[in-house]
Amino acid sequence: MPDVRRQSPLDSVVRHALMRGLTRRRFLRHAGRASLAAGAAVSLPALLAACSTPPAATPQATPGQGTPPAGTPPPAGDTLNFANWPFYIDQDEDSGASDTLQQFTSETGIQVNYQERIESNDGFFGTIAPALAAGRSTGWDLIVVTDWMVARLIRLGYLEQINVDSEVPQFVANAADAYKNPWYDPNNGHSVPWQSGFTGIGYNIALTGREITSINDLWDEEFRGRIGMFSEMRDSMNFAMLRLGIDPEQATLEDAQRAAQELLAQAPLVRAYYGNEYAEALANGDVAITMAWSGDVYQLQADNEDLRFVIPEEGANLWVDNMCIPRGAENPTAAKQMMDFVYDPEIAAQIAGYVQFISPVPAARDVLAASDDEEEQELADSELIFPSDETLAQTVGYPNLDEEAERQWQELFQQIVQG
Amino acid sequence: MTAIGGARARPTLGRRLRSAAPYLLLLPGGLWLLVFFFVPMATMFSMSLQEGTLATGFQLTFNFEIYPEVIQRWSTQLVRSFQYAFMATVAAILIGYPLAYTIAFRGGRFKSILLLLVILPFFTSYLIRTISWKFILADQGFVLGTLKEIGILESGFHVLATGTAVISGITYNLLPFAVLPIYVSLEKIDKRLLEAAGDLYSSRISTFLRVTLPLSMPGLFAATLLVFIPGFGDFVNAEFLGARDTTMAGNVVQRLFLTNNDYPQAAAISFLMMGLILVGIVLYTRLVGTEELTR
Repeated sequence: MPDVRRQSPLDSVVRHALMRGLTRRRFLRHAGRASLAAGAAVSLPALLAACSTPPAATPQATPGQGTPPAGTPPPAGDTLNFANWPFYIDQDEDSGASDTLQQFTSETGIQVNYQERIESNDGFFGTIAPALAAGRSTGWDLIVVTDWMVARLIRLGYLEQINVDSEVPQFVANAADAYKNPWYDPNNGHSVPWQSGFTGIGYNIALTGREITSINDLWDEEFRGRIGMFSEMRDSMNFAMLRLGIDPEQATLEDAQRAAQELLAQAPLVRAYYGNEYAEALANGDVAITMAWSGDVYQLQADNEDLRFVIPEEGANLWVDNMCIPRGAENPTAAKQMMDFVYDPEIAAQIAGYVQFISPVPAARDVLAASDDEEEQELADSELIFPSDETLAQTVGYPNLDEEAERQWQELFQQIVQG
Repeated sequence: MTAIGGARARPTLGRRLRSAAPYLLLLPGGLWLLVFFFVPMATMFSMSLQEGTLATGFQLTFNFEIYPEVIQRWSTQLVRSFQYAFMATVAAILIGYPLAYTIAFRGGRFKSILLLLVILPFFTSYLIRTISWKFILADQGFVLGTLKEIGILESGFHVLATGTAVISGITYNLLPFAVLPIYVSLEKIDKRLLEAAGDLYSSRISTFLRVTLPLSMPGLFAATLLVFIPGFGDFVNAEFLGARDTTMAGNVVQRLFLTNNDYPQAAAISFLMMGLILVGIVLYTRLVGTEELTR
C-alpha cells in the first residue's frame, strides 16, 4: 500500500511506510481476537494458578504429524512446538501458511506446530510457570518473551542453556552488535532476539489539536479523560522515570516510588490503563493520546490518517522479544535450529517485512533494498524496522528486578491502575 | 431400623441395595463437590496463609494477619463490588420482572419464542458480548459519534470508563438469570387465584401486590442470588468497560494472581469474598425466610 498521505512533521524520526497495511477487516479481526484472547488469558491462568499443582498448558500437535519411529530417535525430534505472539511472523492472510515456517520444514524436515498463544508476558508466564515450578515440561520447545521476562526466567532457572557460538552460528555472524551480550542475558546464554520495537506515544491529531513531542503531554490537563497509559508496569513506570530524568535501567526502589507518585498524580487524567486493546481505544477515539507500540499505529493509519506515532524527546522504551527454550523442552535441538534459521538475512528480511518491527539482522536491510519489489525497497528505509543510531540512542531499556523488587514495584503500580 | 431387629433374617442383597440407594445416588454429586469444591477451597485457604515469592516458593506460615491487611488494603474495591453487584441486581429485577411477567401472562403462544429470545445472547461468548459494547459505545463510535455530530451530546460525553457502564454491563450480561427464575414462579401461579381476587373486588394493583408478587417471591429470591453472586465476583465488565476508579475485587484478584504473582494475597481476597457472600446469603435467607427457597 503506497504511502503518500502519511507525512508527519516528525518524519525524521519515524519515516515509516505502511507497506502491507492491514485492511480494516483484518485489523478488526486482529484487535477483536487479541482482546478476546487477552480476556481468556486473564481468567484461565488465574484459575490454574489458584491451585498448587495445576495442569500445565499442553499444546496439541496439529493432526497429521507422524510420531518418531521407536528406538531410533532422530537428533532433532520431528516436531517443533513454537509459541509466539499474534501476527508476529510472515503469514498468508487467508491460508495462515508461513513461507518462513515452510522453508524451515523443507530444509530440516522438522514440522512446526506454530501457535499464536502469547498475549502478554505475565499471562503467558502464568500458564507455563506451574509446570516449570513442578519440574515438568511446558509442552513448548520455543517461546518468545520480552527481555525482562527472559531475565526473570533465567533467574528462576526456567530456561535451557544455549551456546550461540556452536549452536546458533548465524546469530553470531549476522546479529547487530546491540543484540549481543544484552543486559538481560549475558553472552546470550539462554536467548536470541526475535524482533524488537519502541514504546512511544500514539495520538490522534484531530483530537489533540496539536503535534505531540513530549512525555509531559501525557500529563497535560488539557487531555483529561482522554489519555491512555499501559497496564504493563514496566512500560508506564519507565515513562514516569523518563519524565523525571531517571535512567530506568539503573532505577532503585526509591526511584520507583517517585515514579509511582508521578503516575498517581496523573491517574485522574487517565481514561484507562490498557493492554493490547489500547489500539482500539485510539482507533475509536476513546483516547486522544496514549502510550503506543511502534508498529501498531502505522497499521491503524490505514483507516485514520490523523493518527501519529512519535518517539518523545525524553526518550522511548526499547523492548526486545527473545526466542528461548523452556526447561524440559522435548526438542531443544529443533528450537536451536529455528533460532539459527531466522538469522539468515533472507529469512530475517521476510519476517521483518511482514511484521514491521525492528529486525536484529542488519543485513536484512540489504536484502530488502536489493529487492525488485518497490514496497520492499521502501521498507529498507523504514526507521521503525532499521532505526538509525540516533534513534536508538533516544531509547532506554527496562529495570532489571529480582523477585522481591518485582513484587514491590508491582505493588506500587497496582495502586495506580486499580486505585 | 431393620438391622436392629435382631431376630430378623439378614436383609437380602436387593433390600440392602435399596437402603443404600440414596447414598449411591448422592455419590456422584458428593464426589463432584469434594473434588471440584472442597479440594480447591482447602488449597486456596492454605495458599492464603502462605508466605514467599515465586523464586523462593511459598511456605505455609499460618499468616492469618493477611486477612485484616487485605481488608484494609482493598476495602474500596470490596465495597465497590458490593455496590455494583447490588445495583446490577436491582436493575436486573426492575427490567427482568416486567419482562418475565409479560411473557408468563401475556406471552400466549409466543411464550417459548420469547423465552428463547431471552437466552439467545447466551449463544455467543460472554467476552464477545462485552467487548462488542466497547465498539458500540466508543466515544467517537457509531452511536455516540453520531449523537455528538448532530449536537445532542457535548463532545466530551462518554459512557465507557464509567461506573454506569460497568453496572450496565453486569446487568446486561446477567439479565437472563433474573428473567428465567421469575418467569418460572409466575408461570406456576394458579390463574384461578387471580380470578378469585378479582371476584372479591380486589383492584388489579392490589391483586398484584397481595397475590402475584408474594407467590413469585421464590423466583425473585433465586433471581437476586443468581445475579448478585456472579456480579459480585465479576471482573470482565470492569476490565473492558471500566477504568481505574471502577475497579472491582475480581480485577484486584486477577492482577495479584497473574501480574504480581502474589498468590497468598489473591487467595485471601478470593476466600474473603466467598465468606462475605456466604454471610450475605445467610442473612438474606433469614430475612426472606428459608421456606421461600423450597416452595
